Formats: sequence, C-alpha cells, structure tokens
Amino acid sequence: MIPQEAQYRDWMLAALAGDAAAYRSLLAGLTRHLRGYYARRLGPAAAEDVVQETLIAIHTRRATYDPQRPFTAWVYGIARYKLVDEYRRGKRAAAVPLDEAGDLFTADEAQAAIARRDVEKLLAKLPAAKRALVREIKLEGHSIADAAARTGMSEAAVKVTVHRALKSLGEELGDSHADG
Amino acid sequence: MQTDDLIARLSGGLEPVRSTEVSRTLGLGLAAGIAGSALLMAATIGIRHDIIYAMGGGAFWLKFLYTLAIAALGLKLVERIGRPGTDARLPLALLAVPVLVLAAMMAMQMMSADDATRHSLMMGHSARTCSMLIAGLALPLFAGLFWSLRQLAPTRLVQAGAAAGLLAGSTAATIYAFHCTESTATFIAIWYTAGIALTTLLGAGLGRWMLRW
Repeated sequence: MIPQEAQYRDWMLAALAGDAAAYRSLLAGLTRHLRGYYARRLGPAAAEDVVQETLIAIHTRRATYDPQRPFTAWVYGIARYKLVDEYRRGKRAAAVPLDEAGDLFTADEAQAAIARRDVEKLLAKLPAAKRALVREIKLEGHSIADAAARTGMSEAAVKVTVHRALKSLGEELGDSHADG
Repeated sequence: MQTDDLIARLSGGLEPVRSTEVSRTLGLGLAAGIAGSALLMAATIGIRHDIIYAMGGGAFWLKFLYTLAIAALGLKLVERIGRPGTDARLPLALLAVPVLVLAAMMAMQMMSADDATRHSLMMGHSARTCSMLIAGLALPLFAGLFWSLRQLAPTRLVQAGAAAGLLAGSTAATIYAFHCTESTATFIAIWYTAGIALTTLLGAGLGRWMLRW
C-alpha cells in the first residue's frame, strides 16, 4: 500500500464532511506529488497548469471518491487521466508513458511524509491552542494577522506564543538528544 | 493564478458532500432516460394491445427478467467506471450469468425442434426490426446516462461509454418488452442480445468523444 494512504484518506473523509482545514492540508500535500509527477513527464514549465487543472478536477469530482476504496488510487486515476488528456490535446507524438499509482507517490515524497510525521509527533507535545497557532503560521504559512483575527488574540500575543512554543520544542529536542 | 491561491480558494468555499451524490446523479440521468424512452415508444410503436393478458404469461416475464438483470449489472458497471481507481471486474463477470442461462434455454428449445420450427423460433415475426427498435429506444437513455457520466469522473472513456451503452440498451429492451409480442427464449436470446450488443458498441464509439471532462 502507498505509505500516505491512511493520512490522505483521513483528510479526504474530513473534507467530504466539510472540514476546510483538512482539505487544505490534503490539497497542499497532493500538490507536491502532482508537481513532481507532471514535471517528470511534461517538463517543469508545462507542469504547473496541469497541476492546477488536476486540483480543480479533484475538487469538482470529489463526490466520486468511494470511501470503501483506496484514496491514493482515486487520486492517481484522476492524475493519470489529466496526463493522458494533456498528451492528447498537445498531439504529442510520444506515447503516454506507462506508470502506476506508486509513481505519483514516489520515495522522495515518502521521505517528506516521514519528516512531516516527525513534526506532527513533536507538535503533539504542545497544548492544543499553541499547537494550532504553530501549525497555522509555521507549517501552513498563514500570516500572524490572520491567526490573530481567528483567535481574537493581539498580534503581539500571537508572536510571543509562537516564539515560546518553538523555544519549548527546541528544549524538548535538546532533552531527547541528551537522553540519547 | 498561483497554485497556493487556488488551494485557498478551493478549500475556502468548501461544502460538505453527501455520500449519495453519485447515486443521485446516476438516478436522475437514468430516470430522465426512462421517461424519454417510454414516451418515445408510446408516441411511435405503442404498447402491445394485449399487455394485460400477456403479463399473465411466463414469456413476458422471461424477457423482463433477462433485460432487467443485465440492466442491474449495467448500472453497477456505470457506477464503478464513473469513479476513478475502482475496478469493475465483478459486475462484468456476472454479466455472463443471464446470458449463459438464456443461451442454455435457447439450446434446449432448438434441440427439441424440427428444422421449420427452428427457423420460426429464431426469426419470430419481428427479427428484422427488433434490435433496431431497441437501439432507437435507447437514444433518450444514452442522453441521460452520458449527462450523468459527465458529472462523474470516468477515466477510461471507451469502457465508460460501453457500460452506458449496455445500460441504455438493456433498459430500452425492458421498455420494448411492453411492445414486443415475441415469446420464445430463442428469439430473445438472439435479438434482444443483439440489440443490447449494438448499443454497447455504439456507446464505446461515442464515449471516447462525448465523455471527456
């Protein structure tokens, strides 16, 4: 099975129930895979348009995901269809290369997934409110102003909270290194 | 547009999706197709006059059962093929069951008949028109089912078109059974099957062009 299956499936099920944050994480994760997949086949210049087209297809066709089936196979089906479509439209002489779902979720992406899992493990040590702020600002790239507006805290308080949270995580890492 | 902006926009307006969405889409297309096809028949060739009497006999229900079994499997096939990353091997393999059962009934009829009877078993009185009328009645169903499939995400267009053609043909044949006065397993096994095969081929040919999304 594809290593990202469980995480992506969870995000997808949450997204189908209307969870926008899970959906954003899912699309951001998939974008990395799609970019690599299309860049290797169409070149980096042509890839970005197809990535966006595929994201829109995933969005508009999300009702066709059957939770009884692997999510990665569903995404791969769409990604592959958009690749074939791109070849067909461009009247590219070359045959569409043979591949399989594993090619969309390749090993370097698997490494990244492991790194993400380590980050999640570390984040889990923070209290929920701090964890949400760190995730929002440091991982998902939202602005401090956004986070302040969402939580009702002042921007200065957000900054301080994130700073302290990161510091405590740094100490946590230092401890575990000392232990090891 | 930047991809990050696109993601923000897509996730920003996220609406929950009902798990029955695919069934609803297929149901709408199929229902519209059935209505169109039934109206088309009523307006052209009509329902057989002795329908009440015929419904008391086994031959009517044999036709009905045969085409309905194929239609049920066809619906399952369309539903599977309309979703990326699923496989449709089981409903495809099960199609052999009604076809083989009716073929066995045909073989028994043919073996126990003499030459002249064999000919009339095979040709009935409407052999020349039966398959074509089924294909004609399938046209509104084609329109409805292609509309449905285009809302879904078929990734193998020829197969998707063929599955829609199989469903359109078998549903049209079920409707046609209310007009048709043939009553032997042999006739149904040949001409109903031929009509459904015709719409399946037609669907495969059309799917490649008309099901792109």
